[in-house]
Amino acid sequence: MGNASILLIDNRKSLIQNIRKSFSEIDVKYTLFSAANEKEAWSMLDGSEKIIPIPKIILIDINSTNNKGLQFLNAIRNHTDLKSILVFVITDSKTDKNKVAALNLNIAGYIPMSFESQTLNSFMTVLNDYWNIIEFSSQK
Amino acid sequence: MNQKLVNILLVEDDEVDVMNVKRAFSKNNIMNPLFVAGNGVEALEMLENQIIPLPKIIILDINMPKMNGIEFLKIMRENEKLKNISVFVMTTSNEDSDKINAYNLNVAGYILKPLSFEKFLTSVATLKNFWQLCEL
Repeated sequence: MGNASILLIDNRKSLIQNIRKSFSEIDVKYTLFSAANEKEAWSMLDGSEKIIPIPKIILIDINSTNNKGLQFLNAIRNHTDLKSILVFVITDSKTDKNKVAALNLNIAGYIPMSFESQTLNSFMTVLNDYWNIIEFSSQK
Repeated sequence: MNQKLVNILLVEDDEVDVMNVKRAFSKNNIMNPLFVAGNGVEALEMLENQIIPLPKIIILDINMPKMNGIEFLKIMRENEKLKNISVFVMTTSNEDSDKINAYNLNVAGYILKPLSFEKFLTSVATLKNFWQLCEL
C-alpha cells in the first residue's frame, strides 16, 4: 500500500482533528490529507497542491445546507484521472434527495455520522476494517 | 433497520462459491433476501425483466461464462434503472486490469476471495458491519 492516502473534506476543524486522532489510535495504514472545502480539495486533486499519487479514497461531508459537495462529486466522476476514486459520504442529512443524488454518482457508501467522540473510534474501525478487505490496483 | 431487508443479488457461476456465500450469510446472521444469477446475461435478464425485486446490493464475480462481471457492470451502469446499485466485486482475479476496470465503473469495493472459509467468514462479517453503517 506504501504511500496510499485518503482525502478528508470537512469544514469542521475539530472533527478533522478528532478523525486524525482516531486514525492514529486505530492504526489506519493510509496517510490522511484534509481540506476545509471543495475548492481546497480540488487543488489537492488537480491543481497546485496536487497529492501524488492521487488519493485512493475520499471521505466527504455533505450536509443539508448546500449542494457544493454533490457538484464536487459530479466533477470528480467526469474527470478521467479522478473518476475511479472510492468516495464515502458522511452526512448529518437524512434527506432522501441528497442520498439519491449521491448514490447516482456511485459513491461507495452514504453514512450518517454521529459526532460524539467516544463513538468515533468504533465508527472509523468499521470503515477501516472495510478498507482493509478491499483491493486497489497497484497503478498510479 | 431497513437495510437489513434490502435485497442482494449474487452473480456467481461457481456453485461451491454460491454455497459459501449462503453459508457465510447464515453464520453471520445476514437475513437479507439473497438472489443468485449464474452469469452476467442471467443477471441482466433478472434485473431488466423484473424477475426479482430490485436489489440495493450486487455481489459480483468477474470470471464467468457468457458475460463476465466487467461486461455486466458496463451495461448496468448505462441503464437508468440499474446504474445506482452498489456493486461489490468478489473474485479470485488478482489482475490489475480487472481492478482498474471495476473501479472505473465505480464499484464500492474489490474483494479477493480468501482461500479459507474462515477468512471468508471474517470478510463477510466486515461487509455486514459496513452495510449496517451505510444508508442504502
